[in-house]
Order: sequence, then C-alpha cells, then structure tokens
Amino acid sequence: MRSHSHIVRGLVALAVSTIVFLVPFAFIVLTASKTSADASRFEFSWPGDFVLLQNIAEVFKVRDFVIVRAFINSTTLTVSSVAVMVVLAAMMGYVVQRRTGLFTSAARMLVLAALIVPSAVVPTIWVLQALGLYKQMLGMILIEVTGGLPFCVLLCSAFVATIPRELDEAAALDGAGPLRVFFRVILPLLKPVVVTMVVVQSVAVFNDFTGPLYFLPGEENATVQATLFNFQSQTLSQWNLLFADILLITVPPLVLYLFFNRQIVEGMVNGAVKG
Amino acid sequence: MKSSNAPRRLVALIGSMVVVLCSAACSVGSLGTGEQADGDTTITYLVFNEPSTVKAANALIAAFEKDNPAIKVKLDTMPTGSDGDNVVKTRLSTGEMSDVFSYNSGSLLQAIRPDEYLVSLSDQSWVKDLDKSYLPAVSTAKGLYGAPTGGTTPGGVVYNKAVYAKLGLKIPKTWDQFRANNLLIKKSGIATPVEQTFGDAWTAQLVILADFANIAAVAPQWAADYTANKAHNVDQPALGSWQHLRQLHDDGLLNKDFASATYDKGVEALATGKAANYPMLAGVIDAVRQNHPQYLKDIGMFAMPTATGTDSHLTLFLPSGYYIPKTSTGAKLDAAKKLVAFTQTAKGCELLIQSGSYGPFVNRLCQVPADAPAAIKELQTYVAAGNTGPALESVSPIKGPDLPQLAVEVGSGIRTADSGAKLYDQNVLQQAQQLGLPGW
Repeated sequence: MRSHSHIVRGLVALAVSTIVFLVPFAFIVLTASKTSADASRFEFSWPGDFVLLQNIAEVFKVRDFVIVRAFINSTTLTVSSVAVMVVLAAMMGYVVQRRTGLFTSAARMLVLAALIVPSAVVPTIWVLQALGLYKQMLGMILIEVTGGLPFCVLLCSAFVATIPRELDEAAALDGAGPLRVFFRVILPLLKPVVVTMVVVQSVAVFNDFTGPLYFLPGEENATVQATLFNFQSQTLSQWNLLFADILLITVPPLVLYLFFNRQIVEGMVNGAVKG
Repeated sequence: MKSSNAPRRLVALIGSMVVVLCSAACSVGSLGTGEQADGDTTITYLVFNEPSTVKAANALIAAFEKDNPAIKVKLDTMPTGSDGDNVVKTRLSTGEMSDVFSYNSGSLLQAIRPDEYLVSLSDQSWVKDLDKSYLPAVSTAKGLYGAPTGGTTPGGVVYNKAVYAKLGLKIPKTWDQFRANNLLIKKSGIATPVEQTFGDAWTAQLVILADFANIAAVAPQWAADYTANKAHNVDQPALGSWQHLRQLHDDGLLNKDFASATYDKGVEALATGKAANYPMLAGVIDAVRQNHPQYLKDIGMFAMPTATGTDSHLTLFLPSGYYIPKTSTGAKLDAAKKLVAFTQTAKGCELLIQSGSYGPFVNRLCQVPADAPAAIKELQTYVAAGNTGPALESVSPIKGPDLPQLAVEVGSGIRTADSGAKLYDQNVLQQAQQLGLPGW
C-alpha cells in the first residue's frame, strides 16, 4: 500500500515538472523550427517545414553577427560581476557577522538601505559619466555588483552565524592571521552559500535587460537580451527567428547546468538545511 | 595536506578569474570599432531596431559614406515602445544622445521637450519639399525640428477582396454602407464580417483613430479645439467613432475569439478569407507579404467609412522624424545636418523604396513606386482626390495613455460608448495638465 502511494506521488511530481518545464521548452524548439508563416499562428504543433538550422543561421547573420559579440559581452558581464560579487559578499558577510560595533551596524543599515531604496537611472549615469565609466563594460560590471551585493551579504552573514566561533578562535590560536582565517577556514565552509549566490546572481545578471539598455548603450556593447528586440515590431514580427534566438540564449546556461548539476543541487540542498 | 590545498586552490581560482576577466572586460567594449583616419568626422545615428528599419538605415549609411568620404556614420539601435521612449529621454537628459536619431513625430515628440534639447532645422533647404500636413507634427511654436524618416502609414479597413467579390459587395464609403455589407456577410456565413484582436490591446484603437480624417473633413477646427479644451470625445462628431466600435460588437459581427486573438491571428484570418474586414494599419500588408504571400493579391484596403459625410477620408499616420540633439556641435553638427539632408533627396527616397517602403510619402521628391502592393495603389485614389488627413496624434499633442484599454472595453461590449468616451476625456485631461497646455 505504502509503496503504491509513493509511486503515485512520484508520477504526479513527474507530470507536473513535465508540464511546467518541458512543455514551454518544447514550444520554443517547435516555434524556432517553423517558417515565419507557421510561427505567426502560435500553435503547439509539429512544424510543416523543419527549418531550425536555417533559422539559427539567419539569427547569426542578423546585423553582422551581432549575437556573437552579444554572447562575449554577456558572458564577460555575468562571470566578472558574479565573481566580484561573491568574493566581496563573503568577506563582508563574515566581518559584519563576527564583529559587532558601531561601524558594522552602520554597514548593516547601509546594506538594508541598498535593498530598500531603488536606484535611479539618470543620477547613476551622471556618476558614471563623472568617473569616465559610462558606456564601459567595467562600469556595467560595477553596477551589477552593486545591485546584487546587498542580497548576497545578507545571505552570507546569516550563513556565517551558523559557523561556530570556536573555529576562528582555534585557527587564531594556531597563529593564523585574519586573512588566513577567512580564506582557509571560513571560505571553504561557505561553499553551499557560494553556490547558491552564483546560481541566483548569474541568472539575474545574464537576464538583465534594462541595466545594459540604459548604462551600456552602443552597438558594440549589445548583450544577448538586447538581441531579442531585433525580431519584433508593432505590425511585423518574425516569431520563428525570435524563438530561435531565445533557444540560442537558453542553451548555454542549460549546458552549464548539465555539467555542474551535482554541485548546484548539493550546494542548494546544503544551504537549505544549514541556513 | 589535501584539505589545506583545496581552499587555496579555490582562492587562486577566484582571484585569477577576477583579474583576467576584469582586464578582458575593459577591452571588450572596443571590439569591432574600426580604425579612424585623421580628419574624418564620425557621427552616431540611432534608429529603432525593427528589422526593416535597420536594413534601410544600413543602405542609407553606405550610400551616404560613398558621397561623403570624410564622414563616418556609426549605427546604433534602441527598442520600440516604452523602453525606447525611456532610452531617448534618458540619453537626452544626460547629454549622451546620438548625433542623429529617429523618434516618433507628433504627440510623443512634444513629450521630449524639443525646444530644450533639439537643434532647430527650420533653415534647411529640404523643408520646402515637405508636405504641409507633416510640418506641424515635427514643429513647435519656436521652430521645426525633424525630417520625415519614411512613408506615412495609412490606417483604415483592410479587407479581403475574394470575399467581397463572392458576395458582389462594393467598397463602402459611409458607415451605413459598411454596416449593410457586414450584415450581408454575416447572413451569408462565409466569413467573419469584422476581425478584432483585443489580445493585442493597441489594435482596438484603430476604429477610433482611423476615423479621425473623416471628423477633420467636416470639422477642420476640431483638433485645435481639442488641444484647447473646447472639443471633447463625449460630444459628436468624436463620439461617433466610439459608437461604431460598440456597434460592431452589438451587431454580432466580430470573430468569436476577439477578446484573446492576437494581431498575427487577425492577419491570418483576413488573408485566408476567414474574415472579411480588419480595422488596422497598412502594416498588415507587410505581414501578409511575409507570412502568407500567396494571399497578397486578395488584400485590399479602404479608408474608415464615415458617418459624418458622404465621402470617406483616409487617415495617415505620419512618419517618425530624424532629429539632431543640441549636444552635437561643430563638425559633428555639420555632418549630422548633411546626413539628415541626404535622407530628403531623391536618392534618399530611392534607397527607402529599395528597402521596402512604399508610401504615400510626405516629401514631394518621393513617389509611390509602380510595384507597390495593390492595396497601397488602391489608396492612391484617396491621395489623388485629396481625401486624406493626418491622424489626431500628429496634429494634437494630447493622446491619453489609456485609450487601448478603454477601446477594448467598449469594443467588447463591457462599457457603453458614452462612458468610454467620458473616461477617455478624463484621461486626456491628466495628459494635458502634465504637458502644461493652456486652457486645462
């Protein structure tokens, strides 16, 4: 009886995840394989002519292979800003949790304020212009880091709270300096929360459309999300090419997930239990 | 040993990643920019990122650079819709606007404060070639700021000629004739009389917007009165458009899925003869040409039938304009003016037509090409007879942002025409007050 209900539950879970994850993906693949006439019907059907490869070739050719440049830009932006964000957040989360005092409580307030107060576009551009970072990849990376940092710091400081202080003290007694304590004792223990941050923030930065739109204008600075707009207009859209582009953009994160899924799932699960 | 190595490796990995990628990041921005010779002027040129627009812009740049070897033009794009509006406003107010940019004419132009941000082009020689109807759409009291980017977009009723031929129907000129046609089509059962696609809310406005040339034909002062808070939607003749929208629904003329159908569905229904009429922009013709080319010959178009006269007038949505921001100065300003002037020559027009534009145009050097789709040529009878007029948004700065939603409500039979028009007047009031117009 008991194993029977397990099977039923398993099947239900399987069915739900199929509907939620696989059906939309199948729709993307099917639409990307259609001719523009078929795609404009928005039907969940097998394409009349299977032209996936032609569509993908077409998407690549649009505007002098802008999508290749967009992939380079998006990858640079995502990897750099997430790497900086994670290291800074881990350090700050550790200090803010371990040391109590006027300075750290002020820092805590600032982190909270950064979560609550929205950033405004035009003043941000003024700051970038003053620093000579407007239309520069470095400026965009700093903006993404600033945007993601508060959330990551909160996550880290909550996690550090679960690490016994005795560990720091033992390392200090053995003669380790503060940097050494952090890098060799604390950071390895933060692995689960680091994985969580990397996954959440990579998705957020990779999918950011409005940020690069305002802070990183220019054809040479295109990001992948911006290329989606090459195929839509009010009275004439090429849905097949749009979906082929979506497919191209979806595939790299998906491949990464296939390779790293063990670490990602482990990290998420660990984080969930401990944090 | 092993456990002490792992963290060090992690640190080294992250550290080197940061260093390498940061340095790579700083240089990747310059990827793809070419070398620049001394003495050359490089200007940037910003257009909407619709495929056809970009294609035309590239052709234009190639021809312009050939004629002006000392000037290099760099193309830049922005999305359409509200994202594009925000990009334009942001870049103007931070002084980062491209040297030449295209943006909507009419009410949207007024919203970016042309007097403050744009260079006046009143003294340019090409201004005399422009159609008089276009000038107000790119001007303020202080000057003229824009040159047309392409042809006008007619709005009216796109119809299926095969259905009309089968039932022996004539092109209607008045609303009563249109209604009689539709009732006949309904009775015959061979097609949906009128296609509506409220899944894309903007499509619901066409019955109202495309009727404006008819209103202006009997009440030429209406737009000025409307801007001055003296004419309103709740009164005739404007109320008539709202009543038509409601009547189409009440007569049971619409397709069954009108509430959720999308624009592309509407195009297909019309092309294949499942629907007889579709109140829409002439852009439908391009969509049919791309997605259903075998049916292109069945597509025709006529002006919105009138309830205020005996002869219907075609409403023309005026083209966007090319503008130059005040931040372009010196050699760049001269180059930018040259580029704008180039678009207004016969050669510029030829390039427009080659990239798929067919008018009708607002520059007298530019004529509708002989190989334009039949539906466009059909509309030439209105142009020849002088029975055309600009859309309301080109002659008045006020257009309430809630019009699509209110049109959907009235067109779906949820709200009466009077109530819809009244709510829209309130919406217009807010818009006018925001713009600080006198009399509100």
